[in-house]
Amino acid sequence: MSRRTFWSIVVTVVLMGLCVYFIFPFYWLTMGITKNVSQLYQKSLLPGVPSHLAENVQRVFSYENRTFFRWLGNSFLYATVGAFTGVTIASLAGFAFRRYDFIGKKALFIVILGCAMVPGYATTLPIFIMFRNLGLIDTRLAVLLPSFVNVFGVYLMVAYWNQVPDEMFDAAEIDGANDLLIYLRIGLPNVLPGFVTLFLLAFVGIWNNFFLPLVVLNSRSRMPLILGITTITDPQGFPVYNLTLTASFFTILPLLVLFATLQRYFKPQLYVG
Amino acid sequence: MARINTKVPWFRKMAWFGKKTTWMNKKKLISTLKAYAFLAPFLVLFVGMVIYPISLGVRLSLYGQRGARMWYIGVENYQRIFSDTRFWESFKTPLFLLGVQVPLMLFLATLISLAYETRKNSGVVYRFIYYLPYTIPGIVAGIVWSYIFSDSMSPLRPLLDLLGYSGTKILTRPNVPPILLVIILWEFTGYTAFIVYSSLISIPKEFSEAAQLDGAGFWQIAFKIKIPLLRDVLITLFIFNAIGAMQVFNEPYMLGGLVVLPNNYTPAMYIYSSAFSQGRFTYAAAMGMILACITFVISLYVLRTAARNVLRSRS
Repeated sequence: MSRRTFWSIVVTVVLMGLCVYFIFPFYWLTMGITKNVSQLYQKSLLPGVPSHLAENVQRVFSYENRTFFRWLGNSFLYATVGAFTGVTIASLAGFAFRRYDFIGKKALFIVILGCAMVPGYATTLPIFIMFRNLGLIDTRLAVLLPSFVNVFGVYLMVAYWNQVPDEMFDAAEIDGANDLLIYLRIGLPNVLPGFVTLFLLAFVGIWNNFFLPLVVLNSRSRMPLILGITTITDPQGFPVYNLTLTASFFTILPLLVLFATLQRYFKPQLYVG
Repeated sequence: MARINTKVPWFRKMAWFGKKTTWMNKKKLISTLKAYAFLAPFLVLFVGMVIYPISLGVRLSLYGQRGARMWYIGVENYQRIFSDTRFWESFKTPLFLLGVQVPLMLFLATLISLAYETRKNSGVVYRFIYYLPYTIPGIVAGIVWSYIFSDSMSPLRPLLDLLGYSGTKILTRPNVPPILLVIILWEFTGYTAFIVYSSLISIPKEFSEAAQLDGAGFWQIAFKIKIPLLRDVLITLFIFNAIGAMQVFNEPYMLGGLVVLPNNYTPAMYIYSSAFSQGRFTYAAAMGMILACITFVISLYVLRTAARNVLRSRS
């Protein structure tokens, strides 16, 4: 056996082994939702016999007056409205940075970027106090408003706009198009892939954001899925493992479907160009 | 030969120059107005949801508080934090992640991305599978992994029993750091490898081909040519992960449902419980500011590069 084939086999074995690591929790979760608690305690890697899948699903869906569907609806509302508004606003801001030389441009960009680095744990607390004074605590607006500010999105939007050549804007300007028209007709179609990518990243980000709703919401009826599933208990307040697992499964299912179907838009984004 | 424009009288030149500047200013003024019109929606929300909360956080941190009553105390909160050992102890977990998880992950991700390159057809499949955990929220990852490691449900339990360790518990306080390591590596390694791979394939093929002609082997090419070219991306990834490590919350929060963890297990957990379990908002705000400053200092390098790379003015 040549050295080359030896290394090739080693690499394949390692890559396969890592596949097991990365897939295992998904597998275990999928098996877990077919079991009741006593079957979970049997610690088997196989599906539960008899299967309790239908029962688990039915119990999650009907849990506390079908509150699961409210959580699902809230998650979709927060993620869709938040991501779309946030990215639209970011694209307008990115367009301004790309298209115009204006007073305070550099300073503003640095301030915006600097604030992208301030951790959510530092701003969420003052946001809580601010919303409490405004009477916004435990409203849907309290989750939506902060998600409209997509600081990271502005930065990436500037990078996307940079890829649109100057000539395109200039030609439109000579044709007498006004600035808003240039943004809508020339700009947006050209950055559409970037727009979609940012929308998806923001959608997933909001869908998965646990800390903000944890802080600003009290009522279960306004919670998103990600927060709702951590509140599932039996009437005595004890955790119900099989229901939490089943609800977790339905929390990640939309994400997996999105990722699998729109994979080409899920480009990981990093600060360096 | 004398240049032609020397024949223009100096006052005419000045007049022309003056006209030019006013024209420039007017143009700049108009584009400033237009730019701020486009920026307006963002700036309004940015000020409301980022700048104002930060300034409110700074202001709160300078107040003492008992219940709803607040009074100005200057930097007393900060002085108390500096001698609050529970706050500084909370950095043990981030420092462990920074010292162990981040370097290990970057090392693994680099190796994986080099392996992706050697797999022309199956590479796509590996990249897809490795990336999947990144799409999962930290809370769900925390739930599933904490169940996988819990002594009542763990598939590892039968294995340990078989090996004669039936008395050893899996999910104990001392075991939480390695368990966190497994969870966080699971979440982010594939994503990191994808980013490293993206910059790896942007390295011109000629580089490694030339080295190959000179007789360099796979590892030599990897270490002498490719990895040095990945330096920037690896530094950036290191900084981002360092920031992430400082803020870790979701995974230990969920593990805390199955194993008793102190409320200062991470800085974010300590800030959260100080504010919302103990109601010490101003003290928590001061800790938040310290955490924000630490994060900001770590991120300075990235900020500089980012501003340089993206902000080029129109030529």
